[in-house]
Amino acid sequence: MRFFIDQLEVLFPYPRIYPEQYAYMCDLKKTLDSSGHCVLEMPSGTGKTVSLLSLIIAYQQHYPEARKLIYCSRTMSEIEKALAELKALMKYRTEQLGYEEEFRAVGLSSRKNLCLHPSVKREKSGSVVDARCRSLTAGFVKEKKERGEDVDLCIYHENLDLLEPSNLIPTGVWTIDGLLRYGEDKKQCPYFTARRMMQFCNVIIYSYHYLLDPKIAERVSKEFSKDCIVVFDEAHNIDNVCIESLSIDITEDSLRKATRGANNLDRKITEMKSTDAAKLQNEYAKLVEGLRDAGEQRDEGAFMANPALPDDLLKEAVPGNIRRAEHFVSFLKRFIEYLKTRMKVHHVISETPPSFLQHLKELTFIEKKPLRFCAERLTSLVRTLELTNIEDYKPLQEVATFATLVATYDTGFVLILEPYESETAQVPNPILHFTCLDAAIAIKPVFDRFSSVIITSGTISPLEMYPRMLGFTAVVQESYTMTLARKSFLPMIVTRGSDQGTISSGFQIRNDPSVVRNYGNLLTEFCKLTPDGLVVFFPSYLYMESIISMWQGMAILDTVWKHKLILVETPDSQETALALETFRAACSNGRGAVLLCVARGKVSEGIDFDHHYGRTVLCIGVPFQYTESRILKARLQFMRENYNIRESDFLSFDAMRHAAQCLGRVLRGKDDYGIMVLADRRFQKKRAQLPKWINQALPEAETNLSVDQATAVAKRFLRDMSVPFDGRFQEGVSTWSKADLLRHKAKVEEDELRVLRAEREDVDMGGGDGGGDDGFDEVDEDALAEMDL
Amino acid sequence: MSRAVQRPGGAAPKRTEITDDGGEFHSYFDSPELRNVHKTDKTSDICPVCKSSRYLNPQMKFLVNPECYHKMCESCVDRIFSSGPAPCPIAGCRRTLRKAKFRAQTFEDVFVEREVDIRRRVAKVFNRCEEDFETLLDYNDYLNDVEDITYNLINGIDVEASEKKLQGYAEANRQLIDDNENRARKAATTYAARQAQVKEQSRLRREANMREEERERQERLEGQRNIINQLASRDGDAEQIVREGQIGLKRRHKTAIPDRRKPSASATKAEDGKLLYRGLKKKTEVEPERPFSPYAGLRIANEYSVVQDHYDAPWLSFAWQDERYLAGGFKIGDFYSRVFSEAFAGLSVFVDEEVAGRNLTGSFSATEGAVAAADQDVNMSDDIF
Repeated sequence: MRFFIDQLEVLFPYPRIYPEQYAYMCDLKKTLDSSGHCVLEMPSGTGKTVSLLSLIIAYQQHYPEARKLIYCSRTMSEIEKALAELKALMKYRTEQLGYEEEFRAVGLSSRKNLCLHPSVKREKSGSVVDARCRSLTAGFVKEKKERGEDVDLCIYHENLDLLEPSNLIPTGVWTIDGLLRYGEDKKQCPYFTARRMMQFCNVIIYSYHYLLDPKIAERVSKEFSKDCIVVFDEAHNIDNVCIESLSIDITEDSLRKATRGANNLDRKITEMKSTDAAKLQNEYAKLVEGLRDAGEQRDEGAFMANPALPDDLLKEAVPGNIRRAEHFVSFLKRFIEYLKTRMKVHHVISETPPSFLQHLKELTFIEKKPLRFCAERLTSLVRTLELTNIEDYKPLQEVATFATLVATYDTGFVLILEPYESETAQVPNPILHFTCLDAAIAIKPVFDRFSSVIITSGTISPLEMYPRMLGFTAVVQESYTMTLARKSFLPMIVTRGSDQGTISSGFQIRNDPSVVRNYGNLLTEFCKLTPDGLVVFFPSYLYMESIISMWQGMAILDTVWKHKLILVETPDSQETALALETFRAACSNGRGAVLLCVARGKVSEGIDFDHHYGRTVLCIGVPFQYTESRILKARLQFMRENYNIRESDFLSFDAMRHAAQCLGRVLRGKDDYGIMVLADRRFQKKRAQLPKWINQALPEAETNLSVDQATAVAKRFLRDMSVPFDGRFQEGVSTWSKADLLRHKAKVEEDELRVLRAEREDVDMGGGDGGGDDGFDEVDEDALAEMDL
Repeated sequence: MSRAVQRPGGAAPKRTEITDDGGEFHSYFDSPELRNVHKTDKTSDICPVCKSSRYLNPQMKFLVNPECYHKMCESCVDRIFSSGPAPCPIAGCRRTLRKAKFRAQTFEDVFVEREVDIRRRVAKVFNRCEEDFETLLDYNDYLNDVEDITYNLINGIDVEASEKKLQGYAEANRQLIDDNENRARKAATTYAARQAQVKEQSRLRREANMREEERERQERLEGQRNIINQLASRDGDAEQIVREGQIGLKRRHKTAIPDRRKPSASATKAEDGKLLYRGLKKKTEVEPERPFSPYAGLRIANEYSVVQDHYDAPWLSFAWQDERYLAGGFKIGDFYSRVFSEAFAGLSVFVDEEVAGRNLTGSFSATEGAVAAADQDVNMSDDIF
C-alpha cells in the first residue's frame, strides 16, 4: 500500500493498515521533522516495528540528508524479527518502485553469534569467544606475524584487509544468518564486516548495550553523526539497562583472581624488562608526553574501553605516580588489597563514592586522580605487554573499571557492601555492589548526541515517568488504543475469592490458607474453561514455590492435573526452555497446559504466547520488587531527592509495568483473543497505571469481581469468541484499505478546516473570551471527578 | 637456617626507629621461605607461636609488630612481651620487639601492610599538591620521582640513597612541609564539615517529605470522613455530595503539591548563613533589564525645542506631498526634528568652563596648551555649525 503523509510517500508492505499504525506514523514523522525525542506506546501485536521501519525508511529515502537509523532492541530474537521485517519491506519497495535503492542494513551481534573460525566458534561462553577472537585478530599479533614470529591469525579476519574498506558487502539487508552465509562463502569474518560497515549503512540494528554501555559504546558507536535517528524498541525496561551498564559487583573470588592477574602482570613486566626494555621505555615516554596512541582509537581488539562516559573523560596525561609499569602494578595490588580488607566487615555498609575515596586515601595513600586513570593505564599496559590470553585478566579489568567509575562520579552512585547473601545466612559471602542510581547518567550522552531519540514499547505507561527518570523532554508523548471490530480481549480484576474473602499477595496475608485456596480455586476454574494454553505469573520465585507446595497439600494441583499439563519456570534457562517446548507441544496436541512462571523472569519478557499458546493469562499478586533490597532502597531515596518521584509511586509504577508486560504476552495481534486476569485486591487502585489500550477495554463493572463472577464473564467471552468471525467485519474499522485511509484523511482535513473556521468566526465575533474559560473549568472538574481517588 | 646466613654477624641490633632498617630488612622480606610461611598463615587461623587455632578460641586476635611483621595471637603477645622488650619468638627472627608497637593487621598481605607503613612515612614528607606546580607535567614528574623513591624503599633498591634523598628533602623543606600539612588538615576538616552539612540537609529534607506525606494522608482521610458525614447529615442528591467532596479533595491536593518542595528549598537557604562551601563562584544578581537604547543611554531627543506638526516652509511643500519622495520613507517630521537638533546642538556645551576645569587640574606645557587650543577650535567649529 502506498500513501502520503503530508508530502512524504510511505510504502507500507501490507495491503491493509491499522488505524493506530497510521496515527503512529504521523506522530513519528512529527518527531522527526522537529528533530526531537518522543515516547510512544502502541499495543503489542499491532505491527509497531513495521510501521516504524516503513516510515523511517521512507523518510530516509525522501530527504537528501538520509539520516541514518539506529534501531536498538533488547533480545536476539527481536533483532532478528526486525531484520526480517526490514527485508520484507525493502523487497516490497523494490517491487513498487521498480528499481533497487542504494541501501544497506546490517544487524550486529556479539562475536559469539557471528564467528566462523572453526575452533573459536565452538566455545560455549561469550567472553571466551571474545578473548580468543582478540588473541587472533589484535593489531600486535599481526605485527608479530609480519616480524616472522610464529603466531596464529584468523584467516577470516585477514581476508577483510584485502577488500575495499567501504565495500565489504554488497547492498541489501543483512540478517545475522545472511551475514554468516555470506562470510562463509567469501571466507570473511561476519563480525568485523558488520562492525566496519556500520559507517556505510543506512540502517543498523543491534542491542541496547552497543549504545548505552559506555564500555562498548565507546568502541562501536562512537562515529555516528548527530542527525541519526535512534530507536529504542521494547524500551519499558530501559532505565534498568542504563543502570546495569554502569554498575559493578565485586566478590571475594573476583578479587582473588584479580590479585592473580596483577601478579601475572608483574611477572610479565619483569620478563619484558629483561628482553625488551625498549618497549616499556617507549610506553613510558608516551605517557610522559600525554600522547594518546593514535592507533588506539581504531583498535578494534583493544583490551577494554574506558567505562566512564565520554563527557567525563579526563583529557590529560596519566599521573606521574602510575606512569611506570611497576608502579602501576603495585598501585593495583594495593587497591585490591584494600578492597579485600573492606570485604572482611561483618555488617552492611552503604556509602557514597567520596567517603569511600576518603577512607581509601587514609588507609592506602591512593589519591583520586590516579584511580581515575586506572582503566586507561591498564589498557595501555596490556597493549604494551602484548598479552593474548586476555580472559585471565577479566577480574582485574573489572577492578580497574570499578576504580575509574568510583573516582569519576561523586553523585548518583552508591557503594553497598553486603557481607551475607541473605538475612539468615551464617557463612559470609561478601559482595561489594557499586550501583548506579540514576538512569539518566548512562543515557544522557545519547540524548545529547542524537537529535531524535524514539522510545517505544507495547507497555510504557505512565508515559510521563520516562522523561522524568531519564532526564529528557519529549516532543511527542502518545499512547494509542487498539481499534477492534469486536472485543477480542477481556481484562478483569479479581479481588475476592468465591467465599468473598479478599485475595492479595500482600505480605501479611500471602500465606494465609484461605487466600492460597482462593488463588487455587481461581486457577482450577480457569484451567477448566480455558481452551489450550494458560499462563500464570507470580511475583517471585520464592512465593511461587511456597504457593505451589501449599496447593499440593490442598490437592489443588491434582484437580488442575485433570485438565492441563503443569509446567514450571525455573531460574535455569535450559530447564525453562525445555518447559516451554513441552508447553507448546501440549498446546498444539492435547488438552493444553498451564505454565507457572515469574513476572520478572525470562518468560515474562521475551516469549510470546500467541493464539492457542496463550488463551488466558493469570497475574497472581502485584509483582512488586523485593523492597528490602538495599540497592532498591538507595535508588528510591535518590529518586525522591533528585527527581521528586515518591517511593510508593515508583514501586507501583514498576510493578504495573511488569504486570502489563505479562498481560501483553497473550495478545499478539488483532486476530488473536485472550483473557487477562489480574488477581489481587490492590490492582483495583492501580488501574489507572495500566496502558491505555488495556485500561480502555476494562469496564468499571469488571474491576471488582469474585472468582465465580470472573468465571461467568470469561465463559460468556469465550462463547462470543467461538462464533466464527469474518475478516470482512474488520474492514474500515480496525483495518483500513487505501480507500478507507483516504476517507480518514479527508475527514481529518475537514475537521481541521472546521476548527480553523470556527476559530476565525470566534475571532470575528470578538467575544467568547470569558465563556471559553468557564467551559474549560467545568471540563477540568469533570475530569477530576472521574479520576478515582 | 638461611636467615642466619643472610644476616652477617647474626647480631640482633636494637632498633627503635624504622627509618634505619634498610637493605637487610628487605632481604629478609625477600626470602622465599618467608613468603611461603605467610601464605600458609593466611589459610589457617593458627597462631604460629602457641599453635592455638581460631576453632578453639573464636575471639582470637592476631597482632603484628612493624619491626618484622610476624603475626601472633594476642595472648602470646601478652605472655612474651609484658615484662619488657623481648626477641621475636618466631624461629630465625631475632629482632627485639616491644609490646607497645604491636597492632592489629589491617591488610591481609603483610607486604602491603609494610608498604603502607613506608608510604605513610613518605607521604608525610612529600606532601605537595598540584596547585604548587606551574604545569601539569611538572607535577607529574614530581609524582614520578616520589613514587620512585617509595618504590625503591619498599623493594629495597638503593635504600641508602633513597633514604638520603628523603631525609635531605625533609631537612630542606621543613617549613613547607609543615605548611602543607596544615593546609591538608584544614581541607580535611572543611571537607568533613561539609559532608556533615550535606547529610544533615538531606535528613531534614527527608523528614520534611515524610511530614508532608503524612499530612496529605491525614487530609485525605479527613476529606473522606467529611463526605460521609455530609452524606449522613445533608439531604439532597447523594451523588452530588460525593462529587463535590471529591472535587474539594482534589483541589486541596493540588494546592498542597507546590508546598511540598518549599521546605527543602528553605532548608538549604536557612543553612546558608554558616555554609562552608569553598570555591563556589559568586552569583551576581541579574540586573533588571532597562529599556533598549541604541546609543548606550545617550539621549538624542531635543531638549531645547519642541517640533511642531507643521511649519511654513514653502520650499518643501512639493516634497511632503509628492508620492515619489514619500515612497522612499521621507517624513517631513523627521526633517524638522533633524534641523532643530542641528541648530541647537552646541547649546549645552560650555567651552569656557571646560577649559577652566582643565586649567585647574594642573599647569600644563605649551604644547598641551596648543592642543587644548586646537580642541577649542574644533569645538568652536562644531558650535558654529
